[in-house]
Amino acid sequence: MMAATLCGKLLPKQGWLPVTQSVRHGSKAVTRHRKPIHILKQKLLAVTKYVPPTPVVPKGAYPFERQEVKEESGFVLLLKRELKKLFQDYKMVAVAQNCNSNAEDMRILKHRLHRHGIAVKFFPNQVMCSFLSDSVYSNMAPLFIGPTVLFVSKEPKVKEMLTSLRSSPQMTLLGACIDNTLLSAQGVVSYSKLPSVSVVQGELVSGLTMMTAHTASMLLRHPAHLSALLQQYVKQQSSEEAPKAEEAT
Amino acid sequence: MAASSKSAVVLKAVKKIAVQFCPFESNVRSTREFLLFVGSEKARSTNMNCEVITTVKHDKSEPVVDVTFVDGERLLMKGAKLTTREMLSAFQSRCTAKDPQAKAGVKK
Repeated sequence: MMAATLCGKLLPKQGWLPVTQSVRHGSKAVTRHRKPIHILKQKLLAVTKYVPPTPVVPKGAYPFERQEVKEESGFVLLLKRELKKLFQDYKMVAVAQNCNSNAEDMRILKHRLHRHGIAVKFFPNQVMCSFLSDSVYSNMAPLFIGPTVLFVSKEPKVKEMLTSLRSSPQMTLLGACIDNTLLSAQGVVSYSKLPSVSVVQGELVSGLTMMTAHTASMLLRHPAHLSALLQQYVKQQSSEEAPKAEEAT
Repeated sequence: MAASSKSAVVLKAVKKIAVQFCPFESNVRSTREFLLFVGSEKARSTNMNCEVITTVKHDKSEPVVDVTFVDGERLLMKGAKLTTREMLSAFQSRCTAKDPQAKAGVKK
């Protein structure tokens, strides 16, 4: 503006431009405060303000009919692969809910469980649920609500896990999947009370061989004793048959 | 969730809270969230003597929250059809009803 006014007077020679050029300054368009607008302009803006159309149905009343299929990000795919490996490698997968445990409690618990070879894992619930619904373990899905922790171990060391969990009051055991069998909290407790496999096998073998061992021990006794027993048995049989025959006739 | 409790839960008038639920049921969400709220650090710091006992069952029973107050009153909430907000508001209203009485009595 100033340059334009100067042009007529201070440009004696052609092609001469002033050294300093002052540009219009003094008022900004974008201010931090609300810039005063002329009352007429204010009224116009108020009248022509955009009013969005009100939806007939309030938001959230009806669920969306078409399910949006979102592509899973790379991180989610990675987590799913990890979960798959987890379920394949680790025999015991237990789920617990922690109300509130500070870092100190978690550290102590992790240390205690690590001594027995149990690892503590965290996974986002959404990923977990979507993975479980695709896999065989779909019945575990309702367990994963709220902050959950996974305890995984290759050997099902249930007793040690229960003792460590009892010492931390905030953790609540919800369920476990041991050897591809889903167990509830009480099931886990009863599983821990089971004797070991070798003991059970020993008991089974002894139960099966009890009869044969009894017979073998009896045969080892004196033959006179055995013959006396057999004679007694024959007498009993005949005495039983005689009253039966009398009843029949 | 954060909007449902503007003031933290004050457990001063509560003696014991027993929560029981069956995690394999689908109506358990509100009870579990209530348990989270009540078992949080903030809530427990208001009253260290208050016990929060959780029982995990597997008999398809309804989720139940049993609150025993200091003056012997018992509040039984069956969480099968309740939302977390309703449970929390009922619980908090009763807590604050009992608590300011004790506080006001002490002040006077």
